Amino acid sequence: MIEPSLALYGDAFDRVDQHLEELLTATGVRYCLLVDRKGFVLSHKEALWAPRPPALDSVATLVASNAAATAALANMLGERTFSEQIHQGENGTLYVESVGDSALLTLIFDGSVPLGRVKVHTKKSIAQVAAILEGLKDAPPVQFSEDFSKGATALLDDLLG
Amino acid sequence: MSTINFAAREINCKIVYYGPGMSGKTTNLKHVFSKVPTHLRGEMVSLATEDERTLFFDFLPLDLGSVQGFKTRFHLYTVPGQVFYNASRKLILRGVDGIVFVADSAPNRLRANAESMRNLRENLAEHGIDVRDVPIVLQVNKRDVDGALPTEMIRAVIDPRRELTLFEATAHNGGGVFETLKSVSRLVLDRLAQNK
Repeated sequence: MIEPSLALYGDAFDRVDQHLEELLTATGVRYCLLVDRKGFVLSHKEALWAPRPPALDSVATLVASNAAATAALANMLGERTFSEQIHQGENGTLYVESVGDSALLTLIFDGSVPLGRVKVHTKKSIAQVAAILEGLKDAPPVQFSEDFSKGATALLDDLLG
Repeated sequence: MSTINFAAREINCKIVYYGPGMSGKTTNLKHVFSKVPTHLRGEMVSLATEDERTLFFDFLPLDLGSVQGFKTRFHLYTVPGQVFYNASRKLILRGVDGIVFVADSAPNRLRANAESMRNLRENLAEHGIDVRDVPIVLQVNKRDVDGALPTEMIRAVIDPRRELTLFEATAHNGGGVFETLKSVSRLVLDRLAQNK
């Protein structure tokens, strides 16, 4: 294992979910995603009025890769990390901020939302979410039964012949 | 280990196609993309240069289905093969659960194969991991090129201890692509079941 895994479940998941919901409401952004450093979506929320979201798998992968590349750049320039990334287009903005060493909070919003407001609320949420993720490190390891392998092999046979 | 989201009941695994430049890594992914039913795959993302050489990575999400109530998904990546893109390769190995090493059978690529495997070992070591700790499958691609090197000669420079499962392939027409993917996927899922 190269990277610590994240097993987000139960009460921790619910609390993260709640923080994302509050962040969405407080900022007025379209989409709010918690992504792990490997590029997997851990949780996501979208505004009721938001258009159909882009492919979240792809967004998460590119955000995590971008963050990793940015971190490598930071190291080359003598910084421990660059904790936030902002990509501003004509109509929309992508804002990404680190949640400790394990995840990235990603917000996507249009020009009507002030960046300053997003930053203020995001930093507050990050402190809360980071504490929850930190607590997950003490969670017991996940166990799967023998049947898991059999079931997975059957699916592989179906999909790949 | 794979990312597990209990609340969403999802298991996500990351598989990386590694190997020298032009060995057929992207071609493997393109074949999977073209043959897997659309409802089981996501968009294929390619970050390529103008001449279609991989610049950062290619990415393809693939749904296996549900195992014991967990939606199981593979994220397939390629790395850029060119020597000068090593920083990108190192980043993409982050969090890898399984690797397909795609070797090139062309007669003038023996050294490139060996250097790429050495580079893989070095990059994994920089993440603090031994190459034997990650499931790896060896795919010897381009078996149909003129003067293709004997498979055993290629294995001798990449896997002299004969530890890796080997598949011969002609990825441009799909030969060996699914067999290779199935093999590495099984190794990854077996590890998950063993909680390693």
